[in-house]
Formats: sequence, C-alpha cells, structure tokens
Amino acid sequence: MSERDTETHAGAAGAVDIRGVSKHYGDVGVLRDVSVCVPPGTFLTLLGPSGCGKTTLLRLIAGFTEPSSGAIAIDGRDVAGVPTQNRPIGMVFQNLALFPHYSVAQNVAYGLKLRRIPAGETARRVERFMDLVGLAGYGERRISQLSGGQKQRVALARSLVLEPSILLLDEPLSALDQQLRRQLQFALKDIQRKLGTTFVFVTHDQEEATLMSDVIVVMNAGRIQQVGSPGEIYQNPQNLFVSRFVGEINEMPCEVVRAGGGELEVRTPAGGLTLPAAAARGFAPAAGAAGVLCIRPEQLHVRADAAARLPGMVSMPGSLVEELDLGPVRRTTVAVAGRHLRSLTVGGEAARMGRAGAPCAVLLRPQDLRLYESADARQAG
Amino acid sequence: MYSGERPRSVHYLLLLPVLALLGLFLASVALLFSNAFSGGGGFSLQYFQQILDRTDYQIVFLRTFVASVAIAVIATVLSYPVAMLLWRADRWRNLLLIVVLIPWLVSLVIRTYGWIVLLGPKGVINGMLQWLGLLDQPVRLMFNDTGLVIGLVHVLMPFAVISILSSLLTIEDNLEEASRVLGARPWQTLTRIVLPLSLPGAFTALIVIFLASMGAIVTPILLGGVSQKFVGTQIYQEVMYAFNMNKAAAWALCLLVVSLLGLLALKAIERRVLRNHEQGART
Repeated sequence: MSERDTETHAGAAGAVDIRGVSKHYGDVGVLRDVSVCVPPGTFLTLLGPSGCGKTTLLRLIAGFTEPSSGAIAIDGRDVAGVPTQNRPIGMVFQNLALFPHYSVAQNVAYGLKLRRIPAGETARRVERFMDLVGLAGYGERRISQLSGGQKQRVALARSLVLEPSILLLDEPLSALDQQLRRQLQFALKDIQRKLGTTFVFVTHDQEEATLMSDVIVVMNAGRIQQVGSPGEIYQNPQNLFVSRFVGEINEMPCEVVRAGGGELEVRTPAGGLTLPAAAARGFAPAAGAAGVLCIRPEQLHVRADAAARLPGMVSMPGSLVEELDLGPVRRTTVAVAGRHLRSLTVGGEAARMGRAGAPCAVLLRPQDLRLYESADARQAG
Repeated sequence: MYSGERPRSVHYLLLLPVLALLGLFLASVALLFSNAFSGGGGFSLQYFQQILDRTDYQIVFLRTFVASVAIAVIATVLSYPVAMLLWRADRWRNLLLIVVLIPWLVSLVIRTYGWIVLLGPKGVINGMLQWLGLLDQPVRLMFNDTGLVIGLVHVLMPFAVISILSSLLTIEDNLEEASRVLGARPWQTLTRIVLPLSLPGAFTALIVIFLASMGAIVTPILLGGVSQKFVGTQIYQEVMYAFNMNKAAAWALCLLVVSLLGLLALKAIERRVLRNHEQGART
C-alpha cells in the first residue's frame, strides 16, 4: 500500500484509512501506533494471537469505542465522533448476535425497516440477499431452527443487504467444525468477490487468513508486525514473530562472526555457515551479534546418506528422530546439534530412511535462510 | 440415583417428612372444601349464596381484582428502569440487588407502618406539601385505594425487578451492538430488541404480583383501612372476628377461582404477545 494508493482510494466507497491509532484502557495499551490503509474491494485479514488487539481495531472501525489517539477515515471521511449507526459499515459478530425473536427474513430486513425502505422494496432486497448467501426459501424459519452454518449465512445477509462500504467480520467461523468452516471460507470469499465490498476479517487462524485474504495484517501485542499478501507474508516474514505465527518454521541460534562484502558468516551449534547479507531481516548484523536462523520445513532436505551432497546446498550432519506420513506429505524430524528440525517433502510413498537414531544429512540452500535478531526472539517468544 | 444403584427401601424413609407435609396440606384443602360446601348437616351452597348474592361483596371482588391488576402493572412498569440499571451495572449489580431486596429483611408490618409515617394525615408528605404552601388541608393518601396501591407496589416490586433482570440477563451479548451497526438509534434498539426480549420476565412479574396482591391481607388492613374492603381482609375478618370458618372457606374458594381466571387471562395475553419468541428466550 503505497502513498499513491492511499491518495487514489481516499474518497472511494470501501476505503478504510487508519493512521497512528493507539488505544489504552487505563495504563494498558491495547493498540500502539497502528496504521493500515485498506483499499476498496479488498479482503483484508487482521491476523494475530488472542489479545493482540485485532478485535479492538475492528471495534474502533465500527465505532463501539474511540481511539485514544490517531484517526480513522472511512470512505475518505474522518469518523471521529460519528456514532456506529451512522457509519457505512456492516459487522458479523463472533457469536453472530442474531435476533432470536425475529424470523430469518425479519432479521435480514431489520436494517431496511430502520431506514424506512418501502415494504415491497424491502421484500425484494431481502430475497435477493438470502439468495446470494444460499438461504432462498428459509425466510419463515425461526433462528433456533437453523444449523450453525445457516446462522452464519443469515448474519452475513443481514449485514450485506444494507450494502455497506465495509463489512467487518470478527472471527465468525471460529465456532464451526473444520469441514463446514472450509466450505464457508470459500463461500465468503466468493460473495466478497461478487459484491466487491471491502471485507475486514479478524482471525487467529493463519490458514484461514492465507486462504481468503488479498492482504494480511499480522498483529502482535498491539502492534502491526507485517502487512502483505499471503504469499509475501509466508515467503518473506519480516520478523521472528511473523515467521513463527505464519506457517511452520525451523530455528537455530547463531552468532555473527563476520559481516561485510554482501555476505554474513555465522557460527551455529551445527557449524559455520556463509549466507547472503540480504538474509538479515529487521536489523543490520555486526560481528558478535547474536541471531536466530530460520528456514521453512519444505526448504530442508534430508538424505539417509550422511555424506550426501546436492549442488548449491550446504550439508549438516544429523540423526533421524521420526518420519510421519501425513497423506500427501512426509514430515521428517531430525536432530541437528541437539535441536529438532522438521522437513516436509511431497510424496509420502518414497522409501523410509530407517530407524530412529540413524545418521543422515540435512541439506539447505543458504539463500533460503533468514536471520533475525535474537533480542527480537526474546520479545516475540 | 447418582451412583447408579437402585434406591434401597430404607432410603424411602427419607420421604416421610415430605409425605407428612403433603398429607397435612391435602387434609387442610379437604377441610377447606368441606367447610365451604357444608351447612345444614349436608352438602349446601348456602355460604356461596351469602357471598355472591350481596352486591357489596361483588364490589369487594371487583375492587380486589382491579386493584391487583393495577398494582401488577404499576409495579412492573416502575421496576423496568431499576432492572435496566442493575443490568447495566455489571460490577455493582450484586450490591444493588441487595439494596433492592433490603426491604424484605424488614418485617412487613414495620414496613407498612413506615408508610403510615409517610402517608398519614400528619405524615411527612402531607407535612411537606403544607409547609411548601401547596396544600391547605391534608390530602388522604391512606385508608383508601391510593395507600393500598402504594403499599402493595412497594412490597411486591422486588419480585418484578428480579424477574425482569433475569430476563434481561438472558439477552445474548452483542445484540445491542448488532442493532446499532444495522443503523438503530439507542431508543430503537431498546424498543425493538431489549424490551421485546425482556417481556417474558415482565409477564412473570405481572402474574406473580397479581396473584400475591389478590391474596394480600396485612397491607390492605393497615393502609387500606377497614372500610376499604379487600378479599383478603374479608377472610381475615370472618376468621378472626366472626369465627365463621365456613364462610371464610367459601370466600377463599371464590378468591381462588377469581385469581385463576385472572391468571388464565394473563397467560392468554402472554401467549399472544410472545408468539414470536423462541423457546430459549423464555425465562
């Protein structure tokens, strides 16, 4: 999200611009200097562990609370002091908050009735959006007669029927079983694409975030850790927290021995390594600095022959801990210098390497390694 | 049995006290019926005739019924703001609930005398109004229907507060926020979401208070006075002064029937009003 984007979208319906927002409850800082720009029509996910401030940020956009400092603009208009009911937003709550004394159709029509839309028009719009969420013909049902997935769809229709610029979703899928959840994830993404409404989705599930989002905002301890597409976040995590939170990661402590000439020399418990200077993330390593080396499991290759070498790869001696076949992939755990490292390989049908304790070689490309500052490790861990 | 064992015969002995109480209760009810329907050595409706034929007695029933409905409605309406306050006061709820219930720790008679101090011709309210020059003569606030209604509303209000509060507490989190996001102003949320969902509690309050005030005795005697007859005070008089147990029993059965009719009417209204409510939203 460059400056240019911000300017282009500033006045368009569906843009949210959050600038330097902080929120304190007494002495407790829940959000610290958060700035995000949501372009219109984006499916943006706020991803982070519970207590990271993502729901608070959503509630600030909704106007349930006001920021302690900073500004929020919706559709290019500063919304400070604008009450919730006058903001062009919709919201799907974690517990859905459907009105139990109304039928499905009455729930969906609620906002239209408040706006005094004529009955005929209301009925048409209710029908259209019930159809959109796949609940055609369910209008007369009582809320208690619906399944969990159907309730989700009612909550969605109830918000979307008002055609808000922005739809806020607060972990709406967290109560569902895995299969239904997956189904609704696709349905949500599909509906978002059809309507072009901006979705701001909150979740702690990185898989869910990856599956649905155009943009992911990773949050921790009230701060934004990284903003990017799911691919960028996974391929190029900016700090140790993001690498740990999004996807699986292998870690190895190290000490920088020499920095310079576009290269870094580090010493690890498993031996010395030379990596490109670009491997360092978020700090400029100097000789003597302590760091953490990280690599994704699919970038580690394990060979049964301890002397095995592959072109462009460095090798470290290890011993086999276990091999697990997880359907399409095999997960191999090896011990290197007393640390367990995991490797993922596609094709679980390949021959197994042997029993636990068997010596093996762990191979990796130095340019796949990321180096983070170890102070960062203490903070994030 | 929680242990999964079949109860042993000795366990049934534990039921004895309950059975004794039940027997006593049934015996008194039987006695009540036999008293009411006896006369002249056999079955007779003479006591019922004595009551139902007299216009002044019919008026007593009518007054008791109307006053009870009024008391139920007034107490329920007045309890709403209190219950809403308690509902909002997350941290202070239990403390405030104790404040609401404190009157119940004081004997009913003493509380009623408290009202006499306030409402009497030389009481605090009349004194105040005269001191302010708003009145020349004291107004009659007691020994009439006003005093009776004030007294019973006060005595019975905690029932309504608790009943409405319990209904409010069943309202799911976020319903109000959801209503706001959908465009509702605070009063629209109140009238469309909060009030409808708390109606089951309000109906419980109406029914409980209606029944309790139909049978009230102490407050009507002390605040309503002897001339303003209430069914409860009539029965009290038959028992304590006239020693006419048969007539008292007939009075009691008439009261039971009238109360039952009122109850059925309230239930019918409740069913109509709450026909849209989910089973789960009822208290």
